[in-house]
Amino acid sequence: MLADIASNLSLGLSVAASPEGFLFLVIGAFLGMIVGLFPGFGPAAGIAVLIPMTFGLQPTIAIIMLAGIYYGSMYGGTITSILINTPGESATVASTIDGYPLAQKGRAGPALVMQAIASFFGGTVGVVLITALAPSLANFAASFGPSEYFLIIAVGLLMLTTMMGDNKFKGFISALIGFAIGTVGVDVMSGQQRFTFGSPELIGGVYFVAVAIGLFGIGELLHCVYNGQHRQPTKRLRISFRDKEFWPSKEDYYESRWTFWRGSGIGFLAGVLPGSGATLGSIIGYSVEKKVAKDPEKFGKGEMRGLVAPEAANNAASAGAMVPLLSLGIPGSGATAVLLGAFLMWGLQPGPLLIVNDPEFVWGLIASMYLGNMILIAMSIFAIPLFVKFLDVPYVNVVPVIVLLCIIGAFAINASIIETWILVVSGLIGFAMKRYGYSPAATVLALVLGSMAEETFLQSYIISQGTMNLFWERPVSLVLFIVLLAIVVLPIVLALLVRSKSAREGLSNKV
Amino acid sequence: MKKWFAAGLLILSVAYTAHGLSTLTLVTSSGRPAAGFFPLLIGLLMMISCAVNLLGDWREESAQRRSGIVPRHQADPEAEAKADALGVDAHGIDGGQDYGRDVLIVFLYICGFVAIMKPIGAFLAMVLFMLAFLFTFNRAHVLSNLIYSVALPGFLYGLFKVLLNASLPISPFGF
Repeated sequence: MLADIASNLSLGLSVAASPEGFLFLVIGAFLGMIVGLFPGFGPAAGIAVLIPMTFGLQPTIAIIMLAGIYYGSMYGGTITSILINTPGESATVASTIDGYPLAQKGRAGPALVMQAIASFFGGTVGVVLITALAPSLANFAASFGPSEYFLIIAVGLLMLTTMMGDNKFKGFISALIGFAIGTVGVDVMSGQQRFTFGSPELIGGVYFVAVAIGLFGIGELLHCVYNGQHRQPTKRLRISFRDKEFWPSKEDYYESRWTFWRGSGIGFLAGVLPGSGATLGSIIGYSVEKKVAKDPEKFGKGEMRGLVAPEAANNAASAGAMVPLLSLGIPGSGATAVLLGAFLMWGLQPGPLLIVNDPEFVWGLIASMYLGNMILIAMSIFAIPLFVKFLDVPYVNVVPVIVLLCIIGAFAINASIIETWILVVSGLIGFAMKRYGYSPAATVLALVLGSMAEETFLQSYIISQGTMNLFWERPVSLVLFIVLLAIVVLPIVLALLVRSKSAREGLSNKV
Repeated sequence: MKKWFAAGLLILSVAYTAHGLSTLTLVTSSGRPAAGFFPLLIGLLMMISCAVNLLGDWREESAQRRSGIVPRHQADPEAEAKADALGVDAHGIDGGQDYGRDVLIVFLYICGFVAIMKPIGAFLAMVLFMLAFLFTFNRAHVLSNLIYSVALPGFLYGLFKVLLNASLPISPFGF
């Protein structure tokens, strides 16, 4: 098995380390750092907006560049979390809790270096685990039928929507909106037109890229305007790696030695599980680290472990999320949903057969992630002064860049003004969703997986002759069905238990 | 506004279901699910969940009005809700003013940009959008605004039209 992995990786390296592959990997990683750096502009938006710029490239090189943007943004997003208490994207919200207090204590340099090392560690552990797991999972998934695929999609979407705290319901509605948009166009089973209102442009369905760019690109941009980013004065920050105080102390490394591993393990698992993603991974990573610490009172006041845990976790999660994408063809987060859209645009169908049919692509992508992490740690430490300079650019000058890229990019794909209007409307909806606690990621995920969900559901229905017993007759289906039921029922049971417990306590207090 | 957005979603879900029911076949002659089956399922779920959601938002806003307590402006509501669910306090990034009026202005400029793109061409539309935006939000820097408003559209037009050979609307002047 190890020999297989070695030969596959050397095949992948021949693609990723080719002059063209390496050049676009560096460009992707660099752009990813910048995408992460600008608050509110996350990896999903970055990938969606920059998809049209990869038109002239070979599919493998284009995906290597887009993947570089994806994991590169995790590195860049923390710089603003630490320096100005403004997370570059959702997955780095947890990094502000201890990152910013560290900077306030005058330890911005060590915090930036430790986040880079944690990101590298988490990212590399994640890629090593992809290398080991993706082919095995693909082999296992080759036996999956429609019922298993439908249940995986349902579990993924339910997890994404139920992991949203107070906003579970809004997450569920967000996913339903995605499914509803996905039903526009011709029905694959019967050929009947649905919700096209006689428009020939809608026969092929609502184009996913326009919706994704709108929800993530314009939506997040409007949310940043709402938060007042465009009215913020320029932050003149100066960081130099030549300063003595720039480097972390031995205690920083020593105290965080297990945090790297815990954060990476938790993050990777969160990434692999469909629907949880890097944001949740980083928050769980932080929460667990605080719980296992002997001195939890230090957290929130500038504790290095409180920064290392979410950073290792969000990078490991971004790698982990590639496992279900590559082996099952099912994205686990908004950003990987956009990546899936890019795969499909390039004619690549992710799933168990992708590794068999297109090993150069899959292993090229995996190998590029090893190289990408090395490039990113070097950039994150030695080019930090350069990236910090980007924060000198006022956000008011960044807004038009994003708007023009979104509009021109969306129009350029199919030269369609209707799609451009769909983008604008999606942008407004995306803003309202973000503002009122809905989940644009759930919408995009459901939109991408909508037709697959419908197809597999109907296939299962037809195969089981309307009895639906296919969902619990096969062993894998049965396990997934139990997980699905647990996700739905457990929170209700727990809530009822808590309510009855508090009622009992209230009664005993009265007595 | 939160409850109005929730109400809008409820109206849309009712319209979606009603349109689906009136135009699509639910079951084939052989009793199998047809094109309208899945949309009906989604529509029903949407109507129920949007109605419950609207009720919740309505109650929340009424409670806020009664108590007079205005919630703090949240920077990232979704991520913060996830953190709350796990007992992690991530609200240190909250607070500050909100700029709803600016959102409306930017959105109207974007709509204007898309509306004029076909008749006057992508390049001129980009320039006009940038001039409008920068002279609204960055008035103090007249010269740099002018240069930036021509340079960025020029660069992007060159990149998409010349380098990537993308099809962009052309103005009556030929660019």
